[in-house]
Amino acid sequence: MKALLICPSIRPAVPQLAENGPLATAPVLGGCVASHWIEHLAVLGAREVTLIAADRPDQVEADLGNGSRWGVDIKVLAVGSEPSPGEAAARYRQEGDAMWLPAPHDVVLMSHLPGCAELPLFESYASWFAALRAWMPRAVTPARIRMSEIRPGIWAGHRAHVSSTAELIAPCWIGDQVFVEPGAIVGPDAILEDRSVVEAEARVTQSWVGPDTFVGPMTSVASSLAWGSSLTNWLSESSLRVPDPFLLCSLAPPTAPHPIKQIVREAETPIRQLGLPPDWIARWPLPVRRGRHSPHAL
Amino acid sequence: MKIENQGLCLSISEIPELTSVNSGHFRDELRAVLPGSPSVIEIDLSETRFVDSSGLGALFALYRATAERSGVILRLLNPRPEVQQLLELTQMQQLFEIVQR
Repeated sequence: MKALLICPSIRPAVPQLAENGPLATAPVLGGCVASHWIEHLAVLGAREVTLIAADRPDQVEADLGNGSRWGVDIKVLAVGSEPSPGEAAARYRQEGDAMWLPAPHDVVLMSHLPGCAELPLFESYASWFAALRAWMPRAVTPARIRMSEIRPGIWAGHRAHVSSTAELIAPCWIGDQVFVEPGAIVGPDAILEDRSVVEAEARVTQSWVGPDTFVGPMTSVASSLAWGSSLTNWLSESSLRVPDPFLLCSLAPPTAPHPIKQIVREAETPIRQLGLPPDWIARWPLPVRRGRHSPHAL
Repeated sequence: MKIENQGLCLSISEIPELTSVNSGHFRDELRAVLPGSPSVIEIDLSETRFVDSSGLGALFALYRATAERSGVILRLLNPRPEVQQLLELTQMQQLFEIVQR
C-alpha cells in the first residue's frame, strides 16, 4: 500500500521551530513529526511512503533514511511550494485505488500528529505545546522499547539519568539519555527531549525542552519552548536568544554544511521558486544542453 | 543612560542595553548616587533591548546594595518581553518589583 505525506513548509507563526530544520523533522517526544506519521501509516499497512517536501528536502531525506526502520520504502520528492492535499493527490496519486491506503490516510498534510486532527501543530507556539502535551501518553508505542511509564503519568527513557533528589511531577516525559540533576524539578506538563540536561536546582514546568539542550543550574523554564539557546514563551509568543550558555545552550556539535552541498543548495533555491524540479537541467535533451536547438523548440 | 534624582525617588532610564560593555558604568553611576538615600529606585527598562549575565549581575548588585538599607523599594519598569523572559529564566523576577505602566 502507498501513501503520500506532505511536509509543511515554513509557517510564519512558529519560525523558531524551523530554525534547526524543516518542520517535518521537528522533534516530538523522541521522534519527529514525520517519523510518528510514518510509524502510524506503517501500522495501517503502508509499504511505500512518498514525502513531498518544499522546505529543505535533503534534510528530510537525511533524517528519515530509507524507511527500513519502519519496514517501508521512503521516497522524498523536492517541490517548489507546498501543495494542498487535493493538488498532491491530483499530481502524484495516479494509480488505481487498490494500491493506496484508504482516505484520509492516502494523502496527509502533516499539520497535526496522527489521530489528533483537533490539535494543529503549527498555528502558534501554544498549539505546538498543546499538541505535544496531548501526545505524551500516545508516544509510547511497542516500537519504542527504550521508553516506559515509570510512574503514572511519568514516562522516561531507560538510559535517562534522574537524580534521586530530583522531583518529577506528572505528567512529564523524559527522553532517552537525558540527565536530570540533583534538586531539579521537572513537571507538571514538562517534556525533555533526548539528550537534554537539566542542571541542579533548575525547574522545568509547562515547557518543552528540545533535544541536546542544556538548562543551566537554578534556572526556571516555565511556559516556554527551549531549544538550544532559543527560548520562546508559548503564552506571550515572545522569543529570546539567551546570550549566556551557562543559562541555556545547545549541546549538539556544530555542523558546518559541506561547501559543495551549500553551493548546490543555494543554486537550487531559485530553481524551486520557479516551480522547476531540482534536476531540471538533467532532463533537457543533450542537444539542447549543447546549444544546438532553436529557441522556438522550447 | 539618564539618572534623575527627584527627592526621594531615583529614576534611571534610557538604557539601550545592559551588558558587559556598560554594566560597569551602570554600577559606578548608581554607586555614586545611592548615598543620597532614596526611598524608591526605579529602573526604566522600556528601551533596553539586550541584557546579558553582566547586566543581570549589575542589577543583582543593586538589589544587594538596597537590601542592606531597610525600606528602599527597587522597581523595574516596563521590561520588554525578551528581558522579562531572561528575568524569569534566572528567577530574578522574584527579587524585584516589576511594574508595567
